[in-house]
Amino acid sequence: MNMSVRYIFMFIVVVLLQVLLLNNICFLGFINPYLYVYFILVLPSSLNKDLTLLLGFLLGLVIDIFCGTLGCHAFATTALAYLKPYFQKVFGPREIYESVVPSMSSYGMKMFLQYVAYLVFIHHFIFFLIEAFTVSNIGHTILYSFLCSIFTILLIFLVEKLSGKKTYRE
Amino acid sequence: MRLLIRFLLKFKTLFLFILLEVFSLVMIVNHNPFQRVHFLSSSNIIVGSLYSCTESISKYFSLGSVNRTLVEENADLKRRLNQLQDQVKFYQFDTTYTGRRSESVAKHYIFRTAKIIHASTNLKNNYLTLDKGTSDGIRDGMGVINEKGIVGIVSNASSHFSLVMPILNSFSKINAKVAGKSEMGTIIWDGSDTRYAQLEEVPLYIPISKGDTVVSNAYSSVFPEGIMIGTVSDMKSLNNNFYSIRVNLSVDFSRLSYVDVIEFRYNEERKELEREVRE
Repeated sequence: MNMSVRYIFMFIVVVLLQVLLLNNICFLGFINPYLYVYFILVLPSSLNKDLTLLLGFLLGLVIDIFCGTLGCHAFATTALAYLKPYFQKVFGPREIYESVVPSMSSYGMKMFLQYVAYLVFIHHFIFFLIEAFTVSNIGHTILYSFLCSIFTILLIFLVEKLSGKKTYRE
Repeated sequence: MRLLIRFLLKFKTLFLFILLEVFSLVMIVNHNPFQRVHFLSSSNIIVGSLYSCTESISKYFSLGSVNRTLVEENADLKRRLNQLQDQVKFYQFDTTYTGRRSESVAKHYIFRTAKIIHASTNLKNNYLTLDKGTSDGIRDGMGVINEKGIVGIVSNASSHFSLVMPILNSFSKINAKVAGKSEMGTIIWDGSDTRYAQLEEVPLYIPISKGDTVVSNAYSSVFPEGIMIGTVSDMKSLNNNFYSIRVNLSVDFSRLSYVDVIEFRYNEERKELEREVRE
């Protein structure tokens, strides 16, 4: 399948999954996984930084429109898209200079999980901070983002495990 | 010039990033009422002190009218004091009754006077800023009145300032009734004329005529019963079940200066009790 068609398809799937299914989980009343960030995390390293930013903003905006929190997801996801290339440099494979799609097979399990964990936590933290719109309750915000991050990372791990075999064969 | 363009091109990703984030923030503040109120109140430490500074200068120019309203209020209070003294004398022989009556009013509500240091009336969602906050005992959800009638409800309080959502705000909903009738309705504002608000949800079967007074009702825990809101200026039937009543507001929102904030002392207890029953 063509790369860009594949990513467009993935964009739609991720948005639908997030909006229709994952937003209704509310585990213990407030813990929701935000799996949609997975789309930004697995964009290839060769992709133009400006395009990555625009995609991040667009994805956040679409989620916002469905959630009625106009701007909050867009803000956090744009920040994520801005930070992603730097983290890719740190955790990605050193020797290979061509384009790499971040995944468990290309990064190795440990590096990939670290890469995901840092970015997901940063994204969730920014999101909850913007949503609460105050720093007076910072402990609460950190706890929220921590718990939701665990959920999201777990889901990303599962998705990677399930789709991992397929990329090997291709 | 060429240097500038090269500079811009070099940091174009950063600029795009900042642009998108600013755009998101603008959306957040414009679209979500919670963040807007919070944004207003958190910046109030700066804005509030600026306003109180300009207010301290401009108050000298309105001293005349403030004095007049104070004199009016004084007269009104004296008159009411006299009335109450008469009543007390009248009921003196029945000590158990007067004892209970005067005690219950004083027990339930506490009044605190505050000054308005900033007010808007030209927007669809107006807010007033008071010069007192949580350190003076003001909390979210307390009622605000002046000598003419109901002004609004405290929507947000920081430690030294508080933000009041007046009747002139499209999110404002205040329980009300036509004086003398027990059916309750809701006062809302359609955002057009600052002298008029709308009383809705009053059923058609009760007789109402122009000039009737509209007051707060007894179910509200924010205002004591019977505080003036305005007079009926016009009404028409809405979908054969309810009136749509135009209310001429008794408070002149363009000329507010001092207000009283009402604390209902047993609010927590009342809510707790009502919740227990519901569960």
